[in-house]
Amino acid sequence: MLIRHDKARAVDEVTIVLDGVSQRVPAGLSVAAAVLMLAGPAGYRRHVAGGPRAPLCMMGVCHDCLITIDGAPNRQGCLEPVREGMTIARQGGQP
Amino acid sequence: MSEPGSVFTEVAIIGAGAAGMAAALRLVEAGIRPLVLDQAPAPGGQIYRQVATPALGGEILGPDYLAGQPLVGRFADAAEQGRIDYRARHRVWWAEADAELGGVTLGVLDGGGSSRIWQAQRLLVASGAMERGWPFPGWQLPGVMQAGAAQILLKQGALFTGSAPVLAGSGPLLYLLAWQYLRAGRAPRLILDTAAGLGLGEMLRRPRQSFRARGYLSKGLAMMVALRRAGVPVLRGLEALRAEGDERLERVAYRRGGRWESLEADWLLTHMGVVPEPQLNRGLGIEHGWSDDQQAFVARRGPRLETLPGVWLAGDAGGIGGAVNAEREGRLAALGLLEARLEGSFEAQLEGSSTPASFAAERQALERARAKDLDARRLLDALFRPPAGWLRAQSESTLVCRCESVTRGQLEQAIEQGAFGPNQLKAFTRCGMGPCQGRLCGDSVARLLAARTQAGQNADPREVRDIEPGAERMDAVGYYHIRPPLCAITLGELAAAADPGANVKTSSSPQ
Amino acid sequence: MRRDFMIIGGGVVGLAVAYGLARRGRSVCVLDEHDGSLRASRGNAGLIWVQGKGADMSRYAQLSLATSRAWPAFAQELTERTGVALEYERRGGVDLCMSAADAEVLRADYRALYDTPWAREAGVRWEYLDRQALSEHLPGLGPDVHGGTWTPHDGHCNPLYLLRALTAASLALGVEILPSHPVRRVAGGETFGSQQGFHAETPRGRIAAERVVVAAGLGANRLAPMLGLAGQVHPVRGQVLISERLAPSGRLPTPQIRQTASGGYLIGDVLEHVGLDTRVTLETLHALARRAVAIYPDLARARLVRSWSALRVMTPDGSPIYAASRSHPGAYNLSCHSGITLAAFHAGELAEAIDDDALTQRYPEFCTRRFHADST
Repeated sequence: MLIRHDKARAVDEVTIVLDGVSQRVPAGLSVAAAVLMLAGPAGYRRHVAGGPRAPLCMMGVCHDCLITIDGAPNRQGCLEPVREGMTIARQGGQP
Repeated sequence: MSEPGSVFTEVAIIGAGAAGMAAALRLVEAGIRPLVLDQAPAPGGQIYRQVATPALGGEILGPDYLAGQPLVGRFADAAEQGRIDYRARHRVWWAEADAELGGVTLGVLDGGGSSRIWQAQRLLVASGAMERGWPFPGWQLPGVMQAGAAQILLKQGALFTGSAPVLAGSGPLLYLLAWQYLRAGRAPRLILDTAAGLGLGEMLRRPRQSFRARGYLSKGLAMMVALRRAGVPVLRGLEALRAEGDERLERVAYRRGGRWESLEADWLLTHMGVVPEPQLNRGLGIEHGWSDDQQAFVARRGPRLETLPGVWLAGDAGGIGGAVNAEREGRLAALGLLEARLEGSFEAQLEGSSTPASFAAERQALERARAKDLDARRLLDALFRPPAGWLRAQSESTLVCRCESVTRGQLEQAIEQGAFGPNQLKAFTRCGMGPCQGRLCGDSVARLLAARTQAGQNADPREVRDIEPGAERMDAVGYYHIRPPLCAITLGELAAAADPGANVKTSSSPQ
Repeated sequence: MRRDFMIIGGGVVGLAVAYGLARRGRSVCVLDEHDGSLRASRGNAGLIWVQGKGADMSRYAQLSLATSRAWPAFAQELTERTGVALEYERRGGVDLCMSAADAEVLRADYRALYDTPWAREAGVRWEYLDRQALSEHLPGLGPDVHGGTWTPHDGHCNPLYLLRALTAASLALGVEILPSHPVRRVAGGETFGSQQGFHAETPRGRIAAERVVVAAGLGANRLAPMLGLAGQVHPVRGQVLISERLAPSGRLPTPQIRQTASGGYLIGDVLEHVGLDTRVTLETLHALARRAVAIYPDLARARLVRSWSALRVMTPDGSPIYAASRSHPGAYNLSCHSGITLAAFHAGELAEAIDDDALTQRYPEFCTRRFHADST
């Protein structure tokens, strides 16, 4: 999990649905940041070879932030800002 | 060069970081309305990300971050007034320079998934830097992140790791991040530094550079003092690192002085310096050379920051110089572009006071400051140099290519089986074929190959790994051949952008 | 140093022959160019394809069938020697038609080619299947597909792993592979005991051998004439898109699109006459994506990961050239565009014919006399 600092500037929140559960997150986060904040890095994504993965770079380079957004698989979560009503599904699969 | 349905612009700038913003503003002064394409939702680049609405104050994020506010503010105002055609969340997936006529064709994907073709008479590449791929066993585990990623989380939403992180690697960003965590009351658990000492010997050997770098050095020193006072342990001389865990990071093991130790940890934040973002430069066909100082392939630029006809390159994308230098280079590249425009056309009338004579004074001042700053950088390069033979010191099972899960051992075996260059090695192993397109493995692969050829075909593999190849070897080995797409685009997005009349010229006797 | 053979060209054609010769106990040296040189071996679709080949020359059709039947043992042998799995599969293949008119042309061609005594005797099977009937082999076809020709003889492999396995197997047999040895000049005149031989000049020195095989792809036009052979190849550009890795679909390979063993879809089958230009082009990328989505609509959400283009080595009639020099006995030229399909044959019977100096006798149809009655 990630923790939001208590001195953080107050911002609006948006509601997203992560793996079927409605959650409130600060506007301005990327999908990857929101998922790390809510759920931590474990279970984020599974590599085609079977190993667990989670975002490394958060800036569009590593492609380990791939996630399903509004039904579209393998979107780069670090480049997509969260939006009100967005549906996000992690691609963690079975170990 | 005219693609059906394409849109024309005189000047395109890729990247709205320090270099791109400064260049755009200088062009606006001369009456040009540049197109600025940037992948982020707001201007600022990585360094000044979200600085217009900072998530935290300067007491935590530091004064250098907030120093970007005036530049971002001016850029945002100019965009607001329509003097810059600023396009947030636009990614360039195709870039082709016309070698004869100059000018470029850009394939641009917007945030909604629509691709559009732009034709630009002149292009400024200001696509910035990325963190160097720094392989060690387990760096693919969830819970291991680059320090730059951790900083993005701070800037984006004041997000800190839930438990105190271990930091490892080298470079100013590692200590800046540690300091920011400390200031936020979330001191890091431990800092593991690959450098053996503080580098005093290096500073004494380079008195002029040390003087010029005094600003950087005193900031760094202040951070280190603060960390020491707070009791954050800094262990130097890191030789090998291992991230361990099943479904996520559970334990960090490290070797110093030949001895392994370990500790339980949820988060490991790593940093081994930054390197120019290669994809756009390489994709355009800009020539590169290995920089021994920067330990990276760097695009070759002329004195006016020009590369191919009609293409300029500014900021960290052209060699690491930091945000302040990037701003300068942005202005310099804009001047180069304006000069070329004047030379190219008698009719071109520039607004305001900008005349070639005033360019000269402006250029001279910028160039002088740049030369001093880049000279100081060489000291930082030397102080934070990636350790020679790092990959050798890690286990054979270390993933070099994360995307395709290719290990150092597999690469060495393929080299033994006759892979003699990066593209042949890619073909033999899939290393570099995945979605990151070699960004995180390209340099490691070149190093492995260069060390092999330097040692000779019959050398003992253990000896080979001790070699740290120089520029001549690295240039002889070269790099992956980079082709589009320069960023991810779906087949559906590409198909939707197709001219309905376009058909595939098909083969009648297929292979 | 005495060598039996030098092979000019380190692609799949040169290496298959080098491997075949080395397996027969010959000492062989392969002269290769640079990492960035033109390489059809690193830029092809990996099909091991029978259908449609040899429309103008039935002997080529027969050869294609024979090599496809030799492939299983060939692949197994290479894997055993090197540990490199070739991702080889032979479950049949389909050539897709997007319109009734295309289908009619293809069916007419295939009838002319395969409704023949040799094809019946050899057991060639093919069928035209409409979209409905094809869906068993290619589930998820889009409505714009008309149908396609199916045969059980076609297959595919990972051509890059074939290149690696041939390289590794050759090295293990003692073949010297010399990268960065572009040949500037090749000539006869070296003496080995009583026998004449050949030497090649490279920037890294002279290489000599008793006999020489030109397997230099498009380089044949420059090199073959130095040995009294005709170089008669021209480049035909192809472009390919590769998708991200997706779950295995079981879909049979087609020249237009195939799913590789690692999961990525390889989309291609473009013929472009543009000289030595190896750029990928926007127009073709767009058109290929459009066709891929028309064939399999479920690919619309798949991300494009890579693209490339490469130059086919095309002979005037599309069939291989296997030629022995009359003026320079012991010099041979091999030019063909189907180096992957033909690899099993090249490593086997063709290497044997070269070793026996019986190329013209055993493969008379493939020498260049078919183009110019008065040449070699």
